[in-house]
Amino acid sequence: MIEKEKLIIHPRPSSIVASLYTLRDLNVDVAILHGPPGCSFKHARLLEEDRLRVLTSSMDENDFVFGGREKLERTIDKAIEMFRPKTIALVGTCTSMIIGEELTDAAARAPEGVEIICVETHAGYANNTDGVISVLEPASERGMISADELNRQRRLLAEATNVEIRHGAASKGYLEPSRGDIKYKAAEQLAELIRSGKKIAGILNAKKETAYMFADELIALYETARLFGKESNITIFSNTDSALGLPRVKEHAANVMKAFDARHIPVHEIIGGLDEYAVTGDLVKDLILNKYGGFDAAVIAGVPHALPMEALAGMELFSITNGPRQVAPLKEMGHQHVMVEIDLHPQTLGVSSIVPSEFGDTLRAVAADKTASNAGEIK
Amino acid sequence: MKKIIAIYGKGGIGKSSTASNVAAACALNGKKVMLIGCDPKSDSSITLLGGRRIPTVLDVLRENKNVEKEDVIFEGFGGVKCMEVGGPEPGVGCAGRGIIVAIETLKKIYPQYLDNDLIIYDVPGDVVCGGFVAPIKKGFVNEVYVLTSGEYMPLYAANNICRGFDKIGMELGGVICNSRNADRERELAEEFSDRIGSRLIGYIPKDPLVQSCERDGFSVLEKAPDSEIAGVYTQLAEDLLANSKRVKAAPLADDALRELSKKYSV
Repeated sequence: MIEKEKLIIHPRPSSIVASLYTLRDLNVDVAILHGPPGCSFKHARLLEEDRLRVLTSSMDENDFVFGGREKLERTIDKAIEMFRPKTIALVGTCTSMIIGEELTDAAARAPEGVEIICVETHAGYANNTDGVISVLEPASERGMISADELNRQRRLLAEATNVEIRHGAASKGYLEPSRGDIKYKAAEQLAELIRSGKKIAGILNAKKETAYMFADELIALYETARLFGKESNITIFSNTDSALGLPRVKEHAANVMKAFDARHIPVHEIIGGLDEYAVTGDLVKDLILNKYGGFDAAVIAGVPHALPMEALAGMELFSITNGPRQVAPLKEMGHQHVMVEIDLHPQTLGVSSIVPSEFGDTLRAVAADKTASNAGEIK
Repeated sequence: MKKIIAIYGKGGIGKSSTASNVAAACALNGKKVMLIGCDPKSDSSITLLGGRRIPTVLDVLRENKNVEKEDVIFEGFGGVKCMEVGGPEPGVGCAGRGIIVAIETLKKIYPQYLDNDLIIYDVPGDVVCGGFVAPIKKGFVNEVYVLTSGEYMPLYAANNICRGFDKIGMELGGVICNSRNADRERELAEEFSDRIGSRLIGYIPKDPLVQSCERDGFSVLEKAPDSEIAGVYTQLAEDLLANSKRVKAAPLADDALRELSKKYSV
């Protein structure tokens, strides 16, 4: 008997959307979705805030039956005429791929000076990282990224998929969405630990542009410690190596580092690039167990479930995610406080500086209250 | 030059028989040959494998996501590598998408397949949707042949298929006539080929030996290598390998085709 595959029934990230985000990271000018007008609508719109123009060939019932090549060609012509792009990506969707539309045929009509890359993808892959690969392979063939970078990405994506299977969106047949713990209560507790001089690790382990908000959690942590005169108890780990990743991802890492610097916040350990959140675990574990040791608590922002629990044993964990479906797995792993930054992602698109976080601001407010009441007591 | 060919034609006209006998003949001639059956019936290669059905790519995909070369590619008579695409149960799913997925899988599990001297795609009779031109679009086919007899309906289908080639910009390598003992069949097939701007590259006379060998699970090249019909396939295989002429076919108007068919009926 062949064992049936685990059936996962909650909605999960789409490969088509993953392709679009990857095209953005490569600084492609225009992406044309070859499919019906509503496909990937919400993300397509968001990406337009982030310097990727997204268009659709608007296939309809007739095109499903008769093929949609003509519409795709018209869309390409119009895109070239209106936006004068240097690079265009033609992106497959479920509809066009099922009926066997040939993107390369349409791409052949590109005029001189316009590069068209064809992304054969649909939303039916088991892992949305397949959507990333379906962009990076043709990008590598065209020399937009090196063969080494392609291999590096393959390795990272495979690990990212494993992380999701172990403790993430693909870990259970159904995950109940949750808004996480009450931020005020967790902030109270964290502020108390900071004030009482506990040794705390602040770990940014974020994915790409989400770092613009997740970094704010650590900024708030450090600022609070500074307020209490305890900043020497804080150690900051951050996956913001600006030498690693696709062009746009490096930019984000540099921007976040600049933001730490501008606030005079030391980053003690760089644990990888902003696309390496899935593979930072071993280094973090090694640093904590062998170099630092003795942390009482940790604030982990971004993808906390990618870090191995052996690295975090004995610490009180304050973990911040942007996935409502990540709360239950984190609790199960043993993270005591799990906070969700609802709708984080849309707020971090199209920005190049820190975006205030709700938990960070809550911590700041709680800390300010505590110093005020402290000052009152002294009087 | 490497030959990657696809044989199209009306359902039941003998595409699989022709494909497997040509494959066997080429293999006996010392060529490295691969036969890829794209029909959901998945019996293109059965006569190269002594009547054995092999697991299809889609069978394996259906049950377990990881397909290995050994699971779906089998050596048959003369070392011909055989693969069957397979398909969903009749009436469900999407056979066209199945062909696309199978060809993508082939490229992944056996990228060296392009190193063969001759690759034959045996394609289903009716090119009903985008998936059925996947061998051409995704499988690197560089030459297509159309198989017909002298009967009206197969000719009609062949003419229609040429229309499809025209639409996708694929050039025709030639026409093969698989005789059904129609009136003045060779002449008719010759004129048809000529009129569409191509040529008749092979004429296979009707021979009951083909059927009887098939029933036993063999090609004539294996079971009756000294027969006359085996010689015909050997010649056809040589001609296909040597052929370098490809044309943009000019399909006939329906009326013209009807007239042509009438002209040769006795």
